[in-house]
Amino acid sequence: MSHIGSSAIRSDAWSKVNGETVYAYDYKEAGMLYGVLLRSPYAAGKLLRCDLAKARAMPGVRAAIGAADMPPTLAGWSIRDTPLFARDRVRYVGEPIAAIAADSLAEARAAATAIELEIEPGTPLIDPEAAARPDAPLLHPDWKDYVPTAGSDFPRNGNIAAECSADPGGVDAIFDAAPLVVEDLFTTQRQYQAYMEPKSAVAIYRAGRYIIHSGHQFPFNLRDRAAQFLGVATTDVRVIGHAIGGGFGGKLDYSVEPHAAALSKAASGRPVKIANSRVEDLATANCRESTIVKMRSAVDGDGNILARDVEAYMDNGAYTGEMSYMASFPFHCGAINYRVGKFRAIGKLVYTNTPPTGAMRGVSGPAMYAALENHMDHIAAKLGADRREYRLRHLVGDGDTLPNGQVLANTKLLRRGFDEIEKIVPWRGAAKDRVPYKGRGLAAAIWLVNPLPGALSMKLEEDGTLSVITAATDNGTGALAAGVPQIIAETLGIRPEQVRISDPDTDVAAWDSGSQGGRTTQTIGLAAIEGANQLRAKILETAGQLLQVDAGTLTIDDGKIRIEGETKSRMALSEVAMAATFGGASIQGTGGAALPAVPFNPGCANGLLFPFFASPTYHVHYAEVEVSPVSGNIDVTRYVVAQDVGRVINSACVEGQIQGAVAQSIGMTLYESMRFADNGRLIENNLQFYRLPLAVDIPKVEYVTMELDNIEGPFGAKGSGEAPILLPPAVIASAVADAIGKPICKIPVTPEDVLEALDGDGF
Amino acid sequence: MTETHPVTATVNGREETFEVEGLESLMDVLRDKLHLSGTKEGCREGECGACTVLLDGKPVNSCGYIARAAEGREIETIEGLNDALSMRIKTAIVEAGGIQCGYCTPGIVVMLSGLLRRHAAPDERLIRQALSGNICRCTGYAQIVDAVLGVVQGKAAAE
Repeated sequence: MSHIGSSAIRSDAWSKVNGETVYAYDYKEAGMLYGVLLRSPYAAGKLLRCDLAKARAMPGVRAAIGAADMPPTLAGWSIRDTPLFARDRVRYVGEPIAAIAADSLAEARAAATAIELEIEPGTPLIDPEAAARPDAPLLHPDWKDYVPTAGSDFPRNGNIAAECSADPGGVDAIFDAAPLVVEDLFTTQRQYQAYMEPKSAVAIYRAGRYIIHSGHQFPFNLRDRAAQFLGVATTDVRVIGHAIGGGFGGKLDYSVEPHAAALSKAASGRPVKIANSRVEDLATANCRESTIVKMRSAVDGDGNILARDVEAYMDNGAYTGEMSYMASFPFHCGAINYRVGKFRAIGKLVYTNTPPTGAMRGVSGPAMYAALENHMDHIAAKLGADRREYRLRHLVGDGDTLPNGQVLANTKLLRRGFDEIEKIVPWRGAAKDRVPYKGRGLAAAIWLVNPLPGALSMKLEEDGTLSVITAATDNGTGALAAGVPQIIAETLGIRPEQVRISDPDTDVAAWDSGSQGGRTTQTIGLAAIEGANQLRAKILETAGQLLQVDAGTLTIDDGKIRIEGETKSRMALSEVAMAATFGGASIQGTGGAALPAVPFNPGCANGLLFPFFASPTYHVHYAEVEVSPVSGNIDVTRYVVAQDVGRVINSACVEGQIQGAVAQSIGMTLYESMRFADNGRLIENNLQFYRLPLAVDIPKVEYVTMELDNIEGPFGAKGSGEAPILLPPAVIASAVADAIGKPICKIPVTPEDVLEALDGDGF
Repeated sequence: MTETHPVTATVNGREETFEVEGLESLMDVLRDKLHLSGTKEGCREGECGACTVLLDGKPVNSCGYIARAAEGREIETIEGLNDALSMRIKTAIVEAGGIQCGYCTPGIVVMLSGLLRRHAAPDERLIRQALSGNICRCTGYAQIVDAVLGVVQGKAAAE
C-alpha cells in the first residue's frame, strides 16, 4: 500500500488533542526567573535617560539591563540596523528599552515601572509615502554606516531601506501613444500573523554559552541573530526548539529570545523566561507590511497590454529584518499571469516609526495580486470585455517569461485551473446574469517555493524503528508530523508511525532554513529520500550477509526483509539493526537538499535581492459574495480553489493548508484592520479590536488539487502552504466590486468602505 | 507577601485545595499551581478560547474567571475529558485532520464536549456558533466542523 496521497494521521495529533503537548509558552526550567521588557511609549523621540538603579533595588529583582549593559552592536537579518535596546533614540511604540528579571512576574513588572525614563518625544513618520520623500527627516541618520549582513550592499538611501527597480526604457513613449491608459491606486494594511501561541523564550547562560528554548520556525536564524545581538560567536548560542503554536512567518526572526539570554547572563546564569502578553505580541509583531501600489497599463485597441508601470511603497517599520528581500515583489508580481509588453517597476521599502514588519505567509503576494487582478478587471471593464475571457486571452503560456526573464513551463496548469473552476461553477459574468448585491471574482497566481537548503540524518534503532534528527520545524502544517514520515516510509518500506522526528537543536542537527516559503515537505522530503535510500542500501547489505544471499535479491516490506519473489519474510528490521549495531556499524544515513537555482536575467532589475521563483506553481481562485447595501456587510458565500500541489503527500494536511490559508486571507480581506494613529500608537491593539475570522465567518472552501509528474519535489510534491493565501484579497475585492458596481481598491474592505463606495447608490 | 485564600474545588473528578491570590484567574491556578498546562494561554482577554474549561459542565474562558469563585464547583480541563463522548470528539478531530499547530485544540475539544452534552445533534450552524469563541488560526475550521458533524451523524446512526 502506498503511503503517498493517504490521509495518514499526523504523529502529534493525539498529544495535541489531549492537551499533552508542551509548547514554548508552557516550557519551564527549575530556578527560572521571569523577565519583562520595558518598551517605548513613544513612536519617535530622543532617549535622554534610562536609570535602572531604583529598579535593581526592588524586591525580587535579580537583573536589570539596558543598552548601556550590552555591546554596542547592531543586528539584522539582511542589514544590521537594529539595537537590542534603544540607545539614544526610540523609533516605535513598543521598542525595547530595558529588561528586568525577577523571582516573580509581578515583581518584574513592578520593577519595570520603577525604571526612570526620560524621552523627548519627536514627530513620528507613519505614512511610508511621506517618509520616502527626499526632504523627510531620517529615522536612521547613520544609515550609511549600516553593514549588510550578507556582505554585499544593495540599493538603499535615507529612509528608503531597500529599493528594487527596473526600467527597460521607452515606457513613457508607449503610454503617450496608447489609445487606452488604465490607472489604479491600491492600498493594503498590515496583517498580524496571530499565531495562537504568543512569542516566548526561556534562556540560560551556562558555561560561557547561551542556551535558548523557543518555539521557533527557523532555529538557525535565531542562533545567528542572537549571536549578533549578544556579540558572541555563532556557536556560542544553542537553540533548542519546542512545539510551535503557529507561526505563519511571525516566528522566523528574533523576538524576546536575545533579551532573555542577556538577562540570564546578568542574573548569573539563572534561567529567564520572557513571554509576550497578547497585547505586547500584537503591538510588536513583525506583521505583513502595508502597501501602496500604483499600477498603470497602456492598452491597444485589441486589449493587448503594451506597457505597465508599477510604483509601490512597502512599510518597513523602524527596522528592516528580512524585508529587503520583499522589495523585489512589486517587480515580480507587477507583470505576472498575463502578457505585458514593456514593464517598468519600482518597489520602495520605507522606514517608518512603526513596529518592524516582516514575512507573513505568502509575503507581499496577497497585496500584489490584489492590485494586479483588480487592475485587470478595470482594464477589461474599460474594454467592455468579460473578465474571465479577457484573462484567458492574455494568459501566459509555456515559453513566456516572468519579469526576471525566467522561462515558464507547465503553464497548462494555470489554464487548467480556470477549467477546473469552470467545471465546479460555470462563469456567469455577463451583465444579464447580474444579481443586485451579489458578485463574483476570479483571479490567478503563480507562486514559488523557498529554495533554501535543509538536511537531516537518520538512524535505524535496535527495535527496527527510525529516528530522524533535523533542525527543520513543523509550525503546524504537518510537514514533519505527517509528510516527511510518509515519504521515508514509502522509500524504505516501513510504516509512517515507525518514523520519529526530533525537536530541533542547533548543537545536534545540521543547518536547516526553517519552515518558510512552503519548503519543508519539499526540501526536507528530498533530503529524506536521500537519507532513506542510504539506509535502505545498508540494511539490505547487512541482511544479505546475515541471510547469505545477494543484497540485490532483497527488499523491505512493512518493516521486514523479504527475498523478491517470495511471499514470506525472512527477518525483521530489528534483527538487521541489532546485528549491524553490535557488529560495530550501526545503520545511519544523511541527506541534504536545496531547490536548484532557476536561470534568470541578472540585468533585469536593480536591487533584485529575491531573484527568481523556484519550483513555480499555478493557482486559480473564485469567490462569490453577498453585500448588504444597508449595513455594508460582506458575506463570502462560496469559495473555490484550484491549486497546483505537484503531488499530494497527505490529503488531510493539504486540505488543511487550503482551508486555513483561505480563512486567514479572508481575515486580511474583510476583518483584520491594523491602523496607526498619528502618534504611532496602534489603534486595533487587542484581539477584541484586531478581529480574527471566526467559525461563523468562513465558508467551507471547495477545492481541486492539480497534480503533475515532476522531479522537483519528493514524489513530485511541491510546497502547498503559501499559495492558497495569495488570492482571497484579489477575488473578494473583485467580487465586491462586481456586487456593487463600484471599484474596490483597498484591503481590508470594510462595511464602511462598501457604504462609501455606494455613496447613496444603495438603499 | 500577597495574601492568599484557600479554595477547594473538584478538578477532573478529584477534590483539590489550592491557595489563590486576590483576583488570580482560574487559568493561572490550573496552569501554574496544578500544572495542567493543556489549558492554553492565548490572549488573557477572553477573546480566543484557548483556555476554555468546563465549570459545572458549562464552557468558560478560565483566563477571565476568578479562581476564588470556583469554590465548591466542578472543573473539567482537557486532561480530564476522557469520557466516551469526549473520546469520540477527539478521535473525530484527529481522523479528520482538524489539528495543525494544536494550540487551540484543547479549548475546542472542551467547548465541543460542553456543546454535545447539551445538544445531542447540533446542526452545522449551531456548531459554528458554539465555536465562535474559539479562534483557530490554522485550520479555517472546516475539518473541525466536519469532525463534529461526523460525531453527530455517528451518534444518530448508533441510536
